[in-house]
Amino acid sequence: MFNRLIEKSRAKSPWIYHVNSGSCNGCDIELVALLGPRYDCERLGIKLAGSPRHADIVVVTGPITSQSKDRVLRVLSQVPEPKVVVSLGSCPMSCNVFKGSYSVEGPLDKWTHVDVSVGGCAPKPEAIIDGLIKAIEILKEKRGLNNV
Amino acid sequence: MSKFPFAGEALKSLFKAPLTEKYPLTPKESPEKYRGKIKFDANACIGCGLCIRVCSPNAITKLVDTVEEGQNITMKFDLGSCTFCGYCADFCHQNAIELTQEYSMVVTDKNDMIVSGSFIKKLPQKKPVPQKKATESK
Repeated sequence: MFNRLIEKSRAKSPWIYHVNSGSCNGCDIELVALLGPRYDCERLGIKLAGSPRHADIVVVTGPITSQSKDRVLRVLSQVPEPKVVVSLGSCPMSCNVFKGSYSVEGPLDKWTHVDVSVGGCAPKPEAIIDGLIKAIEILKEKRGLNNV
Repeated sequence: MSKFPFAGEALKSLFKAPLTEKYPLTPKESPEKYRGKIKFDANACIGCGLCIRVCSPNAITKLVDTVEEGQNITMKFDLGSCTFCGYCADFCHQNAIELTQEYSMVVTDKNDMIVSGSFIKKLPQKKPVPQKKATESK
């Protein structure tokens, strides 16, 4: 029963970790706007974690550059299961205008399973909120807490 | 009061509503002329391909199938690699492409991001070739 309480509370406060893999900073600014007072996503329980080991949801921005590919994969492997990978903007989905570049290593789903993709360049903060709500639902499903 | 210069502001703020937007509960409209999800009108398109030429991330593809009446042309707009610059809509002289105000594009499968439309382009009818009568000249 005590474990169930912990599981419930965990589902209500998914912490996110933000990985920038060579993004232009557009999506990063929109994500940071969520943590400020105006869009305040802490009312959904979402909080930015400082370490990937504390996170439940990983938010990836940017096309995966060759310099950042190994680091992104290392960060993703450090996140405890069950985790949800959210790709933000057009870049991780398809490399956007950088596709075909010698220093870009393909879209994100070439390397890992992406659960939720948020479109836009850059997406509006409201769209990111929608994506994170979807990610929370998927996280609950992965934890087996669908009826909570 | 001079010791607490912001006391008046603080007192005023006590009775103000919070600044936070209640987004998922109350829907929000995007600003005017916001460039969001692409709406493609296949009946207006003539398949000139100008949008493909001006698209910097190569998000637009054109598929041509030959059918009986002419050509079946399918235009695919991959919003997953779109920069929403709006050049395709600007350059389209048939105004077949429109960037709507819809901003929420959340998918779990990347293929759901593709907006497409197809139409049939009739080829001009071939004129019957006038046959040279070589025997008449003689």
